[in-house]
Amino acid sequence: MPFELISGSQAVAIAVQRVGVDLVAAYPITPQTAIVETLASIDAKGELGGEFVSVESEYAALAFCKGAAAAGARVFTATSSHGLAYMHEMIHWCSGARLPIVMVNVNRAIGAPWCLDPDQGDSLSQRDTGWLQIYCSSAQEVFDTVLQAFALSEELLLPSMVIYDGFYISHTYEAVDVPEKQIVRRFIGPPVFPAQVKPGSLGNLHGLTTSETQLGLIRRRHEDMLRAPALFDQINDRFAQIFGRRYKVIDSVIPPGSKTVILTVGATAETVRWCLPKLKDIGLIQLRMFRPFPAERLGSLLKAHEVERVVVIDRNCSVGMGGIFAQELRAAIYGMTNPPAVDDLILAGGVDLTVKMLENMLDSRSAESRVGQKWGTDLQ
Amino acid sequence: MTNEMLEFRLHGRGGQGIVVAAVIFAEAMFLEGYYARAFSLYGAERRGAPVTAFIRASKERLMPRSRIYQPDYVVVFDSTLSGSTLIAGLKEEGTLLINSGENWNKNLPREILPEKLFKINTIDALEIAWKHKLTIGSFPMVNTVMLGALARISGLASLENLITSIKKKVTVRIDANISAATEGYESVKEVGQLAT
Repeated sequence: MPFELISGSQAVAIAVQRVGVDLVAAYPITPQTAIVETLASIDAKGELGGEFVSVESEYAALAFCKGAAAAGARVFTATSSHGLAYMHEMIHWCSGARLPIVMVNVNRAIGAPWCLDPDQGDSLSQRDTGWLQIYCSSAQEVFDTVLQAFALSEELLLPSMVIYDGFYISHTYEAVDVPEKQIVRRFIGPPVFPAQVKPGSLGNLHGLTTSETQLGLIRRRHEDMLRAPALFDQINDRFAQIFGRRYKVIDSVIPPGSKTVILTVGATAETVRWCLPKLKDIGLIQLRMFRPFPAERLGSLLKAHEVERVVVIDRNCSVGMGGIFAQELRAAIYGMTNPPAVDDLILAGGVDLTVKMLENMLDSRSAESRVGQKWGTDLQ
Repeated sequence: MTNEMLEFRLHGRGGQGIVVAAVIFAEAMFLEGYYARAFSLYGAERRGAPVTAFIRASKERLMPRSRIYQPDYVVVFDSTLSGSTLIAGLKEEGTLLINSGENWNKNLPREILPEKLFKINTIDALEIAWKHKLTIGSFPMVNTVMLGALARISGLASLENLITSIKKKVTVRIDANISAATEGYESVKEVGQLAT
């Protein structure tokens, strides 16, 4: 298959072209810009196959997507940071409306002050909006996950957010296997989900409802989202037959006898994976799917390996509590017999993970602090 | 080919095309059989501001996703940039390639030079760029000249693969860029080693 040296963001745009969408509505923002630029140039060559709408804001981008998806169109948008924050109301609205929209968010810190580095606070601040969240660690994974996100979303009738680190992935040019459109079409055909609005018919969508009805709808969304891990596995079985690659909801490397594992997502997971041969008896858990949170699978994995300590790398911080992945892990293992200790390395602001920082973190014990929090800049 | 991971840091100014230069060289190394990555970090990029781009390459696909702190190669597109920034972390036995005619060492800080040797090479990329009329406005584009020189001194990409990569990634003045890269390849000279 043809390899191309392209950036993570170019990979997104090509994946969207290969899937075949009816509409792209997006507004450029660093570090997502290359996605919109590449899609615009694909459109300029007449090769997008759908409509490209230059909108006036991120709010409008998602509103366009919502309207088109309600009419049964396959739609895509992408953003970062302040752009995602600006979409916030619409983000809720799309999941409540059960629209299978796929959005890419390239992680970037949110101001004030301005900072362009890949803090995950943008996507994590949308944790509770009812979108699936999948974190990627390479340009290839980004390409493949965009393909898979459409399949997941259209089956579950829930929107998906595909997320990766600004610069360390978005602006990194690397070898990506870029399959031709007809091969991608063997994996995903035209959209088949039902249109909620049809030309010429009258009706009212999402009108005022009772709390009991709303609870029922939220419950159904919750239960449907919990189907995502098993569906992700099935989709990857099919994906592997066509492309020879597969991804896991939780991707772990735990050497026999390792009592300490590092849990992280995205680009930092790849840095840790590369470091593993140099670190003694340390394992890695790369969390790919964050919403739904694969709590059961994570618990079983930690139990099966009798893990005693989990070092979480959080490129984010919920001010007043700490790293968000660490919090979610602690909630997931609450009540477990002999739960592992959870230490948290906080790289908020998008601080670069260096080998030295990682070694210092592994050497430090959490006894002096109740929640075992360390700030990356103290370990350089 | 080497089994080790190779790391390059490119220093230049906004407008010199160093980000695209990193991509072109990564592609040339990719054609040699390396998994090569090129990346850059953003500040507020604008013409004339210092810009840094990176290349990381290995025969293995798995590489760290962090910045480069201890490069094997430092490529300096503009020798008026701060010398201490340029050589920061450069490995012992590392290689420095500077765009300069005479007086290539006038801006390198003697006081912070460590007790190690760098292989130092120079290329008068400015003159070669002028000669091939590679300018945007009055701004000389030295990037393909520098890549020709880098290919020669590193031995990590053949001139042929560099030219293939230029044809793929450069969209304007392709022939002039190829001639400039070739002249860079042929004209680079080792000026010796720098020690304290």
